[in-house]
Amino acid sequence: MTAAAAYLAGRRRAQGAGLDRVLPYLLLAPTLLLLLAVVLYPIGYGIRQSFLNFRFGHAVGSVGLDNYRQLFSDPAFGQALWVTLKFVVLAVTIETVLGLGLALLVANELPFTRIARLVLIVPMIVTPIVVGIVFRLIYASDVGLLTTLRTDIFGSGQVFILDKGWSAFLGLVALDVWEWTPLMFLILLAGLQSLPIEPFEAARVDGAGDWRVFLDQTLPMLRPVLAVAIALRTIDAFTTFDQVFVLTKGGPGTSTQLISIYGYNTAFKFTEFGYGTAMLLTVALVVLALAALTVRLIRRQAVS
Amino acid sequence: MTPTDERPLTRKQFVATAVGAAVAAGPLLKETARAATYRTAATARAAKGKVVIGAFKDGGLVPFKDKIIPLFQQETGIKVEFLDDDYSTFFEKAFQDGVTKAGQFDIYVMDDPWMPQYSSAPVLQNLSKLGFKPDSDFMTPFLDLGYWPPKKGARLPQFRSDAPQLYALPFVGDMQSLTYRRDAFGQAPKTWTELVSVAKAKMKPPQTYGYVFRGVKGNPIVASWFPVFRSQGGKIFDNNWKVLWNNAAGKRATEFFVHTLKSIAPPGVVEYDSDQEGGAILGGKALSIVQYSGNAIKSDDPKQSKEVGKLAFGTVPRGPGGSIAQIGIFISGISVSAPNQDNAVAFQKWFVTKKAQIALARAGSLPVKRSAFLDAQASKHNRLQKTILAQLNAGAEARPRTPDWAKVEDILGTELNKALGASEVGGHLDNAAKQATDYLKKNGYYKT
Repeated sequence: MTAAAAYLAGRRRAQGAGLDRVLPYLLLAPTLLLLLAVVLYPIGYGIRQSFLNFRFGHAVGSVGLDNYRQLFSDPAFGQALWVTLKFVVLAVTIETVLGLGLALLVANELPFTRIARLVLIVPMIVTPIVVGIVFRLIYASDVGLLTTLRTDIFGSGQVFILDKGWSAFLGLVALDVWEWTPLMFLILLAGLQSLPIEPFEAARVDGAGDWRVFLDQTLPMLRPVLAVAIALRTIDAFTTFDQVFVLTKGGPGTSTQLISIYGYNTAFKFTEFGYGTAMLLTVALVVLALAALTVRLIRRQAVS
Repeated sequence: MTPTDERPLTRKQFVATAVGAAVAAGPLLKETARAATYRTAATARAAKGKVVIGAFKDGGLVPFKDKIIPLFQQETGIKVEFLDDDYSTFFEKAFQDGVTKAGQFDIYVMDDPWMPQYSSAPVLQNLSKLGFKPDSDFMTPFLDLGYWPPKKGARLPQFRSDAPQLYALPFVGDMQSLTYRRDAFGQAPKTWTELVSVAKAKMKPPQTYGYVFRGVKGNPIVASWFPVFRSQGGKIFDNNWKVLWNNAAGKRATEFFVHTLKSIAPPGVVEYDSDQEGGAILGGKALSIVQYSGNAIKSDDPKQSKEVGKLAFGTVPRGPGGSIAQIGIFISGISVSAPNQDNAVAFQKWFVTKKAQIALARAGSLPVKRSAFLDAQASKHNRLQKTILAQLNAGAEARPRTPDWAKVEDILGTELNKALGASEVGGHLDNAAKQATDYLKKNGYYKT
């Protein structure tokens, strides 16, 4: 090879190497730009809005941290946060227990488990707003399904769910449990099916009963999956909106007014965009902190 | 297959080919786009274009959709795109459309309490500047609601010295009136006392109850409470935005609503929204109701009413404060970002012509002009019209003209809902008054 040919070959290699270096970034660029446009920009815009005061639909000036300070003196925000926490804790706890119970049943391959598996995931695939409408038709005290059933069975009598604070709240929890237990069930079933068989066989050989096996083997090994499932549901439950909007609009009184409903009303109905954004960002931070805590717990479990 | 065919495309070749193809395709795409635009514009010109009207879903707009849109299209050649949505969804969608100047709609058909918010932003065009000069045939109480700042009553400090400008035109002359069962009452009860006494005597629970209303928090319960409260002598604000609903008269009036009327209403009325309220009167479960025309006009439709021929209309019963119904007209304005502004103006002008208004009235809707209200053929088709005219004469009032009404209504509606649940006023009106006063104070209402 002459010196000139060697020079040209070297240059071609160098050009190829240059393209190799740049190409991954070029290929990533469209996705990154899209992400920046649809995720980061709205978040940044929202953060900026939370420092502004809006009147008549327009920003009329910066208020610094006033919107965030107002959260601490707004009793409606405190009330909505309390209702949301009660709702999340109650709904997620029931969903976890039921989801685990169902997963254990189905994992044992009892008769009809295939059909049961299919039926169990149906609620999850129904649009939340439709679930809200269906439950409104179930709970309606005049012509609702529960009232009709009671009348058919006992001859008379209406069922009142949505006219009192406590029963409306429990009705909302029941709706959420019906809709989202299948998600817990699916995640936990996958977790159960991925567990190794040997520890269970060893425990059986040692004479352990079902309950002992569950407490000493199943539950500890399933803990990381449980943590993921609970974290996912908790984050999701914090943002519940459609079902409440259709079912109760946050009432009676403020008994089912979740933070999502109050934030939505503040921002869009009362056009206090700055305060509404500050409120929802604060809740997002709380949820983010919860998620981070869960991830840390999972990692610690994995290490141990 | 030749060896050449098997040779893979190198990365460089791929990039070079793609760039070359894009460069070559550029002018071609540009020409295609230009041709498409030309064709669209040409088609639009041929059809005189379109006008996009946005509205919230309501039974009161059915005659407009069914009869008036086709008539307008036939007469003008302008195509109407009518986009309707759920009440709250359209409220926020339309407002955001105007604020961000997105240009999704040409005309917003609004509920009249939205007007102060929409015109103070403003997301509506000033119709006075577009050459609209309303004639004297308009029903004055309806037309007045299209002005901002309001011609009468309390004003926001920021707008105190501004001259009222026309931002919207009344669209459907909707307001409340009494619907009652003729077989129970004989004739319209003249007073609330009479209504309650006849209702108590004639109701047969659990089959029938004397009166029905909406109890859901927020707008629904406030709309039902309003005519009772005002007729019983309560007032919402004075001319300086001082809250009055919790004074002695206000508490007495509200006690009548949450206690006396609840005692003759179906159990569970706390959770009733418009669907259940409407179902109760049309399904024969309730003997009387004060309601808007959207549901009242279904009374004679056998597909929607079980009580055809039994339901009659009357004015709101009198109380110490008179006979006062809530005006809740549909009102329409042109968006600041209207993409088809000329057609929007053409529509607005056409819609309030005498001919269009009479057609609207004959289609079963409530017009906004006196001549259409007095049209004999329309009155024959729609017996509600005479009642609405009588109610306008007896007493009718719109909600306070403030862009913050949605917030005030939410505060008041939440506390009223609690009071209804407890069947007594208790401290709920005071709570609502304090919250509302704090809110209004924060927003500068009490600055002199």
